Amino acid sequence: MIIEIGHFALILAFVLSVLQSVVPVWGAVKGDRRLMAVAPPVAGMQFLLVGIAFAALMQAYMVSDFSVLNVVENSHSAKPTLYKITGVWGNHEGSLLLWVLILVLFGALVAAFGRNIPMELKAATLGVQGWVTAAFLLFMLATSNPFLRLSPAPMEGNDLNPILQDVGLAIHPPLLYVGYVGFSIVFSFAIAALILGRVDAAWARWVRPWTLLAWMFLTLGIAMGSYWAYYELGWGGYWFWDPVENASFMPWLAGTALLHSAIVMEKRGALKVWTVLLAILTFSLSLLGTFLVRSGVLTSVHAFATDPARGTFILGILVLFIGGSLALYAWRAPMLKQGGLFAPISREGALVLNNLLLTVATASVLVGTLYPLVLEVLTGEKISVGPPFFNLTFGPLMIPLLMAIPFGPFLAWKRGDLAAVGQRLYVVAGLALVAILVSAWWHGTQQILAALGVGLAVWVICGAAAEILSRARFGDVGLSTGLARLAGLPRSAWGTAFGHAGMGLTLLGIVAVSAFQEEKVLTIRPGDSVEIADYTLNFSGLAHRTGPNYVDDVGHFDILRDGRQVAVADPAKRLYTARQMPTTEAGIVTFGLSQIYVSIGEVHADGGADIRLYHKPLVTLIWIGCLVMSFGGVLSLLDRRLRVGAPKPARRKVAAAGQGGD
Amino acid sequence: MTLWIAFSLLTVLAALAVLVPLARAGRQAATAAALHDAEVYKSQLAEVERDLDRGLISQEAAQAARTEIARRLIAADREAQRSSGSEPIAPQGDAAGRTSRLRIVQAAALVVVPLGAVAAYVAFGSPDLPDQPLSARLEAPAQGRSLPELVARVERHLADNPEDGRGWDVVAPVYMRMGRPQDAAAAYARAIRLLGSNVQRETDRGEALVVANSGIVSAEAHAAFERAVAMDAQAVKPRFFLALALTQENRKDEAIAAWQSLLADAQGGEAWAEAVRIELAKLGVEAPQVAGEGVAGPSREQIEAAQDMSSGDRQQMIRSMVDGLDARLTADGGSAQEWMQLMRALDVLGERERLRQVIARAGEALKDDPAAAAGVRDLARELGEGS
Repeated sequence: MIIEIGHFALILAFVLSVLQSVVPVWGAVKGDRRLMAVAPPVAGMQFLLVGIAFAALMQAYMVSDFSVLNVVENSHSAKPTLYKITGVWGNHEGSLLLWVLILVLFGALVAAFGRNIPMELKAATLGVQGWVTAAFLLFMLATSNPFLRLSPAPMEGNDLNPILQDVGLAIHPPLLYVGYVGFSIVFSFAIAALILGRVDAAWARWVRPWTLLAWMFLTLGIAMGSYWAYYELGWGGYWFWDPVENASFMPWLAGTALLHSAIVMEKRGALKVWTVLLAILTFSLSLLGTFLVRSGVLTSVHAFATDPARGTFILGILVLFIGGSLALYAWRAPMLKQGGLFAPISREGALVLNNLLLTVATASVLVGTLYPLVLEVLTGEKISVGPPFFNLTFGPLMIPLLMAIPFGPFLAWKRGDLAAVGQRLYVVAGLALVAILVSAWWHGTQQILAALGVGLAVWVICGAAAEILSRARFGDVGLSTGLARLAGLPRSAWGTAFGHAGMGLTLLGIVAVSAFQEEKVLTIRPGDSVEIADYTLNFSGLAHRTGPNYVDDVGHFDILRDGRQVAVADPAKRLYTARQMPTTEAGIVTFGLSQIYVSIGEVHADGGADIRLYHKPLVTLIWIGCLVMSFGGVLSLLDRRLRVGAPKPARRKVAAAGQGGD
Repeated sequence: MTLWIAFSLLTVLAALAVLVPLARAGRQAATAAALHDAEVYKSQLAEVERDLDRGLISQEAAQAARTEIARRLIAADREAQRSSGSEPIAPQGDAAGRTSRLRIVQAAALVVVPLGAVAAYVAFGSPDLPDQPLSARLEAPAQGRSLPELVARVERHLADNPEDGRGWDVVAPVYMRMGRPQDAAAAYARAIRLLGSNVQRETDRGEALVVANSGIVSAEAHAAFERAVAMDAQAVKPRFFLALALTQENRKDEAIAAWQSLLADAQGGEAWAEAVRIELAKLGVEAPQVAGEGVAGPSREQIEAAQDMSSGDRQQMIRSMVDGLDARLTADGGSAQEWMQLMRALDVLGERERLRQVIARAGEALKDDPAAAAGVRDLARELGEGS
């Protein structure tokens, strides 16, 4: 009965979303308050209904109800409980349900916390969110219904794809989806503004927290996915420029640009039209990502949907939303009022440069991702666009962007003074130079590019610190007042500093791993030892082990430094019995910020094995940097400035003016 | 019934989510968009003061910014005044349009929502199927349960109590019948470890290994049969397989001796005796017919032909023989024994659907002979097709 209730709730949510698509927008256009008032409760109701559906499906997974086709195809009674839960979104139908759940969650959040948003804008926004919800619910019910039943029910399921049976899967997709789908509400705000033909001064202020929230989760989701690929796929790589990775990276780049342009719009009323376009593009890229992953046009680990009917349907949704929104933009955007003017050298100017570079970078990733697909469709020729392409296009675009980062926050709004900022950054530039020299001296001048990279990372990190310190003005006001000023800084200033410093940390990790890592591929026999960096690894052999739903061969390595044992590594080659599918479990040991990485390839009859062995200096900084960036997002989100109180009605204007401060 | 009550509750809630705000919204006070704008400009003014305090902007720049923001603030205030004056709760000119819109939306909430949801659910849903959590299915009473369900229950029990030798002993032959010889061999091995070795278990384990190995007697199976024969030198089945092993190893003379010694123990009428004669015939030895009617097996020519065939061709020959027998029995009828031979053959070939049809036809053809019909039913049950 629970399953059928979930099914009915999902259908009811679809019917409501159709109503939601029409009624509030109609009300907003006609100025009919009653129709507009329908939007928030219905948004809440949709969330409740999809929540019921999701809970019902999860319950079916928990109790291994094999009368549900989706459970049969993706679960197994012997699977550990954690993977029974994560299995809910480890497949096409379930992950779509999660997608829609997050979609309606954002609608409900705007309904609940958006009290200060003007009624028309709120109604139209929730209405547009209703369009997206209706489209995806229809897609689910028509082609990917997770509630289809089987009778008689089989006694056992097919198990979840072993590569997906990992803690990483428990966290990666939900984070990524909150990010992806979170941009939907920003999109809805943009379309609502276009429908109403007006972008309020406060528009950016309402949009920015949602953008920040989505961006933070997307950052964490991408970082998580990258770390998961790093330890699960056994190649020691953290980023492959795989189309699926690009699918999540493009909305991130566009979302980062949006985050910055929304600041300009909020503070200065400029870049309105551009920000609206970016909001549309960011979510369009999310939709494109969903299409690439869900339609099965790519063949990779992630592409578990390979049904042409589904692909066509999603392509339809994609064309409808992207085409429709861009057409609406072309029609309505000229009606929007343009904002304030500014000189090229100014905070606005720096943010425009940021937007320019990020957008072009997004375009380069888009070309690299879609070109092979288009070529295959047109000529049938299969090519792959790999790291060389992206290193040549994406890389050079990032260098000026990273070099400009420390300047931005120092520049004044409207009219800045580059020379004055340059003076403030002398010390930072000096530190970067020292970093370059030290790195070049340590690793030799043939690694000069890497040394420059290290310098760039130090420049970004120290620049972020310098900006915060300059705000404290220790030199002018003394230590204690300076500290007090530091504590009193708006959280968004801290957010900016952490965000930028995190970027620098990630860059430092990437540079160090790319330039200084050591790699060995060899065949090893029990009793052999191998040296890498300052460490010696002694291989004592392989042991056979049986897990709940797999068997594996576990190698044991003692890691020695200066003759003393400092750690052990136990990489494994695992076979999941239900699907007869092998996976590698890399043995990873962290020393400070660096890691030793061992993974087992072929196992030989004599007890030996082929192994890949890496020493990866500072590799953890790649992900730590992402965490720091997200933490910056949290700080920014907590800024009181973003919580603008609802304005008082006009009659009490005098009282309101008194408390108009921060 | 409970299900439909739950559906109704959800539907009512959904309709109320539309109807209640429709009814209540008229009373809310308006806040013009311009007021929101004014709020933003005020906090921008505060921001200018902060920037000035930080020394990010000069005194003149701050003054210019203040002037610019103040200008916008005044414009927004004027806008707010105008709109609050010109926008009463219900403008008269549009009153009729408002009422008709209200009616349309109310009708949609009351009609479209319930009807749409129920219609779609009836099309896609399965209201008659109850939830079937695995644990409940495994604990439900055994009567009327299908064989796979019963096996799953035993498997669940054995996963929790792997030291239950009796359980392994029970499940092993069931695995054999379900065509899972690998699992059967493993189960026998566990039963032997836990309950001790005996002729029956060793023999059955060996047989399971042979079936799992597509008929080849492996060294492991060979050892099992030898242990069985060591315990009971007269046991027929292990000796049969040992003879088969000799045949497969091409030790012709020893094989013939082994087969003949087996045949010497035959009382007459045993099914295996027929198989022994076939094996002997393959080795070129004509064995004397022992008493007992027996069902005619394939002729010597057919056997010789079969020996030269690839396994695919052999399968083909078996199929054509099965088809012939089926056609003859359907057209002319036959003895219970012939029907049962056909059933066994279909079971081995794995043609479950056809097997079910044959069982039905056999029941029909033998309905005048209760004993024969009961025999067919027993065999059907044994083959997992009991009803």
